[in-house]
Parts: sequence; structure tokens; C-alpha cells
Amino acid sequence: MLKKKFRSLDKTYTADIILKKPDKYRNIEILTSNVENLITMGSGKSYVAASFKKDNLSLELSKFDRIINFNKQEKTILVEAGIKLHHLLYFTLKHKLWIPQIPGYPSITLGGAIAANVHGKSSATHGSLRNQIKSIRIFHKTHGWLDLSESENKEIFELTIGGFGLTGTIVNVALKLIDMKSYDFITTIEKVNSAKDTIKKLDLNDLENIFCYSWNKTNNSKKFGEGLIFRNKINENSTSTLLKKMEYGENKIHQYFPINLWNKYTISFFQNIYFKYYNFYKKKIFYDNFENVMFPYAGKETYFHMFGKKGFFESQILVPLPKVDIFLNELEYNFKKLEPDITLFSIKKIMDKDLLLRFSGEGICFTFDFTNNKKNINFLNKLDEICIKHHLKPSLIKDSRLNSSTVQKCYKEYDIFKETLLNFDNKRIYKSELSERIGL
Amino acid sequence: MSYLILGASSGLGRDLAYTFAKNLHNLTLISRDDRDLAPIKSDLENKFQIKVNIYKVDASSKDEVSSFLKNKETIFNDLDGVLFPIGMMSNNDCISKIGENADIINNANYLSIVRFIEKIMPIFERKNNGIIVGFGSVASSLGRKTNVLYSASKRALNSYFESLISTSNDKNIKTQFYILGYLDTSLASDKDLIFPKASTKELALRVYNNINKDSIIKYHPNWWRIICYTISIIPFYIIKKMIRFIK
Repeated sequence: MLKKKFRSLDKTYTADIILKKPDKYRNIEILTSNVENLITMGSGKSYVAASFKKDNLSLELSKFDRIINFNKQEKTILVEAGIKLHHLLYFTLKHKLWIPQIPGYPSITLGGAIAANVHGKSSATHGSLRNQIKSIRIFHKTHGWLDLSESENKEIFELTIGGFGLTGTIVNVALKLIDMKSYDFITTIEKVNSAKDTIKKLDLNDLENIFCYSWNKTNNSKKFGEGLIFRNKINENSTSTLLKKMEYGENKIHQYFPINLWNKYTISFFQNIYFKYYNFYKKKIFYDNFENVMFPYAGKETYFHMFGKKGFFESQILVPLPKVDIFLNELEYNFKKLEPDITLFSIKKIMDKDLLLRFSGEGICFTFDFTNNKKNINFLNKLDEICIKHHLKPSLIKDSRLNSSTVQKCYKEYDIFKETLLNFDNKRIYKSELSERIGL
Repeated sequence: MSYLILGASSGLGRDLAYTFAKNLHNLTLISRDDRDLAPIKSDLENKFQIKVNIYKVDASSKDEVSSFLKNKETIFNDLDGVLFPIGMMSNNDCISKIGENADIINNANYLSIVRFIEKIMPIFERKNNGIIVGFGSVASSLGRKTNVLYSASKRALNSYFESLISTSNDKNIKTQFYILGYLDTSLASDKDLIFPKASTKELALRVYNNINKDSIIKYHPNWWRIICYTISIIPFYIIKKMIRFIK
């Protein structure tokens, strides 16, 4: 069988895999029946290797991207899981409906988004994607076709959402849509002096601004976290009726420059330019279009390319509200001590039900990107220790270093997830590098 | 306008359906997989507000095709064009193993198309208007060790379409035939081929852009014409020697 070299988005894991792209339902059945282990691949753009593993079959579902049923009155849509989120939005927005839980990159598939239970930037207002899911249809090698919902196979339904594709191939999904009054946004920018100042200004009760997140600088330990808060609210007075077709390049994000171009000088240079542009040049309140607000990473793939062949690490940590101060103190202490190269630091709120291995709960989400070197790995290991000590949640779908010991200690329902999964599939057919690394 | 596509559930057939739908043509889609046809129908109707009819017919079965053509005669009356992006291969398609697959391969790749055209041609002749598009394969340019009947049936189809062009020459019936090289379909996804695979989306667009042209025979991609022509002028005994040498 022809193998293909595939790498995770953070480029820290590369493997030869068997990649198949079924285009018929019976092909899913046939291809699944021929192997012992497999995993489903959405668009293959996860930071970690969640959709592949060395010598394993990955079923890529890009051909399953059709709208099976759409009911405008009931605001529901039944779609195949291979549909890319920007295609889904392009269709629903024409009917003034949408789902707001959208990650920052547009060509993620719906199936992938469910397997990771994404929350997007509006998690404080809308929670995670779980809140929009009515039902899911999966195909499992031993269980065959299964319909999952609150009323049917509920246990597997919950296990599948944020279940990293380990319960089978998500084939189609029924979603509850939300009204969208306009395609345009009003963006407000506020300067913050530090990470602590950011927390203070991220108003937990702000429901008007559906998206609220910060961008913080990391090039100055004396003003750690100085930066900007971006708030986006829907411009209900907009008269714009035309929605521009959203088209994005397919595989640019996986490319890289031959060497890593991020170091303390380039980080400082770009962070200062970015900060000055928004703080001094750009208006504090301005009209913004849908694409800019929803997909801030689109068109900025060079940021990822600059990490070079060795790639990078992204760490995302969910800190419960009572522990935010103590986390920030320890973060700042270790930042000053170990001086890691952090290319991105962002903060947002998350308000969602905590369940199983989902990156959810109520608290503040801290995101960091690091170049892949020893100094930064030491810092990340320190972050792991902080997470374990204070029972904070590191994101499994973002950080490709996390091991099973750390995950077990940080996710209180780890054992429940593992046991339920094993009861459902005692042969553990659906496997990825991620699932093996975290001991599932 | 309204078109029928036989073999519409995947590969080139599916891309043709989307290309024609985007240009707001109503469609009749036929495939043996109704599980795949139903989502295509709803997707096309939702996205493009066109009318799509779907029928489950296994083109490799003579009985199913005959029964469909007999019972659904009326659906052909409103058609402006028919496209046959259909093809079937078998792992057993070699001289000593083919067995019962011979009829299946022959039906799917050749005879079912002949039967459809037999039914549709009188309607197009009556209207003095119609478009027929067939798809051959470069595999038909040379005998081979595997896919023996596939290449033979595609060669028969090639000859049949030449006859069709001759027959409809003096009428307003456009007959188009594309001889296809390797295509990027799920069938070829794990095959390490010496020539690049062409995109089915681009081919579908080419077919659509050519749809109103007079009768044509074209290679896709175009450079396959040179390869096939070269093969056709080299004496067979030299080709035999070349194959032996390569082995």
C-alpha cells in the first residue's frame, strides 16, 4: 500500500501513514473492515497528531461534505462531517443563521471540530460546539452505523464530542443554528498593561461582545503581558447584504521555511510592530468584516512557516477563576527565571460544562506558542508541574508533548473516559498518535 | 437545460453534477449507490435551487438497466444532454481469472451506455437536438496484462462513439468523447503511477465549457494524445520487445 508522509501542524510529529479518501458510504465500510486499527482525518490541521499514527490507516472524509437537510424555520441543518467550517458558514449565513463556535482557521472540518469539541473565541457567550449538536451518526468497525444523541446512545454521544475520533468515524451531524443579524462586526480595541490587567478587563458578564480575547506581548519581562484586548460585537445596523464567498488555500499551513526564524529579536520586532500598529495607528473602534473576525489566522500562515522544520509547541491552559492569580504569579516567576521564547500569548474566557476529556469548564484560557528548543521545553515542563499542582487543564488537542501521566492528573474524568471507551470498543480499534501518547 | 449523468455518485460523475448544477441546470443522476445519491441531491438542491432526480441503477447489471429503460421512459423526454462518466475495474480482470466478472465489466464500461443511447437517440433525433458525452480511457490504446476486459470494453466504447459521431453528423446532435488519462479519484488514491493524475474538477469544467461544441474527440490531459499516437504508430512487435526489455 502506498504510504504518505504526514506531519502535525506543529511539525513535531511526522509519520508515514496509509491515507485513504473514500467517496462513497460503502467505501467507508469496506476500508474500515480491511484493517485492525484506523482513525478518521478531517482536514489534518490539528496542532497534534490527532488524525494519524505511524503505519496506521487514516480515513480522510473530505468527500463527505454535503448538506443532507436544511430546515430554515426550525433552524437546523444535517450535514456530512467532512464539510469545512467556512463552507458550512457560507451556506448558513446566506440564510442569516450560523454556529458561533468557530476555531481560528477556516478549513477545519465539522467532524474534526466535534472530535476536539472546539470552543472558538466566543466560548464565554456560547460555550463549546457541544451546545449546537443535536445528533451525530458514526460508523464503527464493530458496531456499524450508530445514531447518537441526548435520547439515543447518550453515553457514546458525550464520549464522541471531544472524543478525538476514538469512538469511530463521525459521518454526519445535525446542528442547531443560531440567528445572525448581520455579516459585519464592530471591533473595539483596549490597551492593557499586563496579564493581570487583562484578566481584570475581560469582563465575565459582557454578553454584548460575542468575541473577546487578548493579544499580549512577551518580549518585556518588566511589563509581562502588556497588550491589547479585542472585542467584537455584531453590527446590527449594518446594511450589508452581500456575503463574500469564503475561499482559502488548502495546504499552505503545513509548509515551513528551512530554518526557524523566531528568536527573541524577531519576536520583539514583530510584537512591537503589531502592538504599535493597533495601539497608535489603528482606530480604537472600527468596522470589521466577518472573515477578519472569524478567521484571524487565515492568510497569516507565514507565522507558522517561520518556525521552520523543527516546528513549535502550542500550550493552552484552562485555569479556574479562583486560581487565576496564583497561576499568573507562578507563570511570571518562571518566565523571568527561564526566559522562554514565546511567540504568541493570548487570553480569553471559557464558560462551559466540564466533562470527560473536553477542554472545558469555567475559567480563563491562556494560550502560548513556543519555538521548539530545550529552553522552551523546560519552561513547558514547568507549566505541566503548575497544572498538576493546581489541577489546571492543559489542552490535549494543542500540546503534542503532553504525556499520559500529566493528563491523568489534570483531567479528573480521565479514567471515566478511558473505561467507557474500553467498554464500547474493547479492541480499541480507533487509534492515533495522540491517543497512544496520552494512554488511551 | 436538463442533463442526465450515469455514474454520478463519485469521482468525475459527481464533479460533473456539481459543475452543471452550479450553472443552474436540472439534473437526473443515476448510480448504483442510492446512499450517496440522496445526499448529492439534497446538497445540490439546497445550494443551487435546481431540480434533481435520482435513480438507483446498477449499470453492471443488464437486467437492471433494461428494466430501468423500460419503466422510466418518460424521464428521457425532457433531457437536453446525457453524460456517461462511468467506469468499473476488477482485481480479477486478467486473461485466466475473469470468470463471471466479464459480463459485469463489459456492461458497466460499454453495453449499458450503448443501451442508454439506444433509448435516448430517437428522442434526440425527433427533437433534432441533443448532447451525448462519453468517456474512454488511455488504457484502450494498448493491450495489457491486467484490466484486460476494462481496456477492451473502453476500446469498444471508443469505436462505438466514432460510429455515433458518423451517424449523427448530419443532425444537430453533438457527440463528444473524452479519452482520459489517470484521474485523481478514490480508485487511484493509493496507486503510485508514472504519470500525474488529473483533477476531476478541472475535467468536469472542461467538459462543461465544451458542452455546446460540435462533435469532438479529446484527450484529457491533452498530452496523452502524443503518448497514445506514439503507441499507435510503433509496430506491435517492437512494443512487445520494449515491454520485455522493461521487465
